[in-house]
Amino acid sequence: MEFTKILTRFENIPNSRALATYEKHGGYEAAKKALTQTREEIITLVKDSGLRGRGGAGFPTGLKWSFVPKTADTVYLLCNNDEGEPGTFKDRYILELSPHMLIEGMIIAAHAIGAKKAYIYTRCEFYDEIRWMNEAIAEAYQAGYLGKNLFGTNVQVDLDHYIGAGAYICGEETGLISSLEGKKGQPKLKPPFPAISGYLGKPTIVNNTETLAAVPWIITHGAAAHRAMGTEKSPGTKLFCVSGPVKKPGVFERPLGYPLKKLIFEDAGGMLDGKQLKAVIPGGASAPVLLPAEIETLTLDYEAIAAAGSMLGSGAVMVIPHDQPMMELLRILVNFFHHESCGQCTPCREGTGWLASVVQGVEEKTATPEDVEKLYQIAVHMEGRTICALSDAAAMPTKAITRKFADELKRSIRGI
Amino acid sequence: MADTVTFTLNDKNVTVPKGWTVMQAAKQAQVDIPHFCWHPGLSVAGVCRFCMVHVQGARKLEIACNLQATEGMIVRTDTPEVKEAHKWGLEFHLINHPLDCPVCDQAGECGLQDFYMQVGKYKSQMTRPKVLKPKAVDLGPRLILDTERCILCSRCVRFEEEVTKTGALGIFDRGDRAIIGTYGEEKIEHNYQENLVDVCPVGAFTSKKFRFKQRVWFLQEKSSICPGCSTGCKIKVHARTDRRTYYRVKPEIDETVNGFWMCDKGRDTIAHLNREHRLPQSQMRIDGKKQTVPTAQALESLRRAIETAGAEETALLVSAHYTVEEYEAFFHYFCDQLGVTKVYQWRAETEDRDSFDGILLRGDENPNTAGLRAAMRRVKGRTVPIKNEIATCVSKKPKVVVALCPEVPFTSPWFQEDLKQLAGISHVSLWTCRYEATEVAGITSWIPMKGFAEKTGHFLNYEGAKRELQEAFPSATAEALSVVEAVQQMAAIATITTETATL
Repeated sequence: MEFTKILTRFENIPNSRALATYEKHGGYEAAKKALTQTREEIITLVKDSGLRGRGGAGFPTGLKWSFVPKTADTVYLLCNNDEGEPGTFKDRYILELSPHMLIEGMIIAAHAIGAKKAYIYTRCEFYDEIRWMNEAIAEAYQAGYLGKNLFGTNVQVDLDHYIGAGAYICGEETGLISSLEGKKGQPKLKPPFPAISGYLGKPTIVNNTETLAAVPWIITHGAAAHRAMGTEKSPGTKLFCVSGPVKKPGVFERPLGYPLKKLIFEDAGGMLDGKQLKAVIPGGASAPVLLPAEIETLTLDYEAIAAAGSMLGSGAVMVIPHDQPMMELLRILVNFFHHESCGQCTPCREGTGWLASVVQGVEEKTATPEDVEKLYQIAVHMEGRTICALSDAAAMPTKAITRKFADELKRSIRGI
Repeated sequence: MADTVTFTLNDKNVTVPKGWTVMQAAKQAQVDIPHFCWHPGLSVAGVCRFCMVHVQGARKLEIACNLQATEGMIVRTDTPEVKEAHKWGLEFHLINHPLDCPVCDQAGECGLQDFYMQVGKYKSQMTRPKVLKPKAVDLGPRLILDTERCILCSRCVRFEEEVTKTGALGIFDRGDRAIIGTYGEEKIEHNYQENLVDVCPVGAFTSKKFRFKQRVWFLQEKSSICPGCSTGCKIKVHARTDRRTYYRVKPEIDETVNGFWMCDKGRDTIAHLNREHRLPQSQMRIDGKKQTVPTAQALESLRRAIETAGAEETALLVSAHYTVEEYEAFFHYFCDQLGVTKVYQWRAETEDRDSFDGILLRGDENPNTAGLRAAMRRVKGRTVPIKNEIATCVSKKPKVVVALCPEVPFTSPWFQEDLKQLAGISHVSLWTCRYEATEVAGITSWIPMKGFAEKTGHFLNYEGAKRELQEAFPSATAEALSVVEAVQQMAAIATITTETATL
């Protein structure tokens, strides 16, 4: 079955990253069109399209843009390309296929919010992608797609590329802003929200790479065409990153509302021989784990996964096989969040450390079966208590694993 | 009405100015909300996550410190969910805290202890080894930091950023490895170090001067005014009355003058008050030998000297370290009753009175220059320029000098040198609480004075604002007098003498 492709439409096109290739396939026509429209027209169109933030939270993009005060003199657009959620490798795929799609989306978004200056914040581990992005930015400047008087209008968009230093927390939008400001990467207290006071205290919109890259297609094809895909509340397509012991792991662009089992067992080729499905993490490391019974009829959209007690998140579908010890999985997850907690909020700073320490106790053979319940209780009280969602991100999978695999965890503590 | 909002806090209607947070409103309404990182004199950090409150209609608990009060909002601090959040909030703060209260100076005034009694009282779930961090870090001439006790509330970091604007402190590393520190090997050397001890809600920052000196529950506090400069910071003096010993000075909140802070110099203004530095009793030089005498005898001798020499041959040399009430009594007696007209200021020869460090400390290191000038204007009938007049005083060759000596030693290093100028005068009576530096040839009598913490009254600060010394400790030396008391005693002696003469 073929699907309309928005973000991966340059798959299988040779030399897809080059500006000439992008132009040949209609590149920058959407920006040219958008720059003749008013800011309100674009925001309305994006609102109507139902596009939701693809970084994980699924916040309506057009609505976010509309929060920028109309009277603001300096506004910034930031692209969150600090893809760090374990299991996620979708944004790098966009840069691998077509960095110009992101640039074009950013020109349109910058115009819509009135930003003359935009930044892309990329994680430093994306060695090749950084180079490709830099080349694309240089090409775009060369061709007059960036800078002053774009497309003969008085619109100005300058774009800089900033490379992070490797902290997961800088993928949180206000953590990213702090980092870009040259400060320690720590999320900022809200309110005020970035749309009112963000980068350097100015109104700032932070959008995920995948979100921005989808914008040119929406401008070209209209809101209705976007809504024709996906579900009513989750329109459009989404990149899903399937990893784990499946035959064809990789990135798949599918309309939202797509059946999860179909993605795993058909598109990704199903489990490797000899492996059986034990559980699925549907949306990145912070999404609660789901049991096979829970994904029977589950569809990949924000509402359905939330109703199942997990989240769509970044679209990182991690497949867990029958022979994966859950204590080991839990250890990896809590160690990750312990390592990445910025440490400013007490429940997260102490909670992530405590979770990691309790799990460490299993290895040291000092743990008791009651520690499983303790892990759950710690997680419960870490959730919803902090400035950003990292604490929740550590708590949610811990809660799910300690509830759904309590017996297995207790057995591994007893060493049987 | 548009400038205020009214909302409900635990069933109580609270009206506060628009823009106030629930935390500020709760303080005003005297509703306790446990907190660590919030401090009224610093920006809101919202990181301790302890001040959770329930807001009707909200999806989850909110932090009171960053929650603006809005009209009709319904807030509760006592729901089971809030109580659970407070307990766990405290547990998270304590799991890596060393719990070394028995050897911690903060014990007795520690946020962790207080809130444990208020909202904690649980059995800790923590059974794992604690995270270990650097202890007893020397951070400056007055500061020791224990990073294990630290709960990373960031108050100290914000103080350095917002008040001293030095940005000297930062939080290094992250997660539960995070520690407070300075950059590199730098030390904090500014004049506001001990405010870090004050803002620290736990025992992470301790004062080198106060460390291991005294358990705080043995201390009594009295509200007074710092005598260290003309700003007149409101302070609390901490002392043990049973030992007649002064231990420390802390700022008291006074939004009109010092806010929440005071400088380190001001904290040293109690050093001279302890007995070892004090003139214990009145003394007189009799036949060239210094002898302890009853105060009445010394005052009577002074009275006789004035009678003999005449009021016109008597001079008053007055420093600006005394209260308005004391000047009033002093001038009323000596000038109005005895008829003395030679009145001279006594202060540093060179001081940059206009200098100001931008925070609190002023170049005029006298607490009551304005009060003294006002009093002198009354007795002299004209405004006197501010300067040291000891040379003028000596040049007038008075036969008797009554000197109200400067009290705080480190703001009057010129004291002993100046005293030497009085050598040729036949009767010099020093009214002083200091013992040191007064052993100078030519002094006739020494009357022991009370220190600033031992008397009530008021100073007028650099802008003429009334700064009230509200409470007094009993004097560290039993015989010390305020100027008011000394004058009363002297007047009483004089009366008796006159009566005796009439008989």
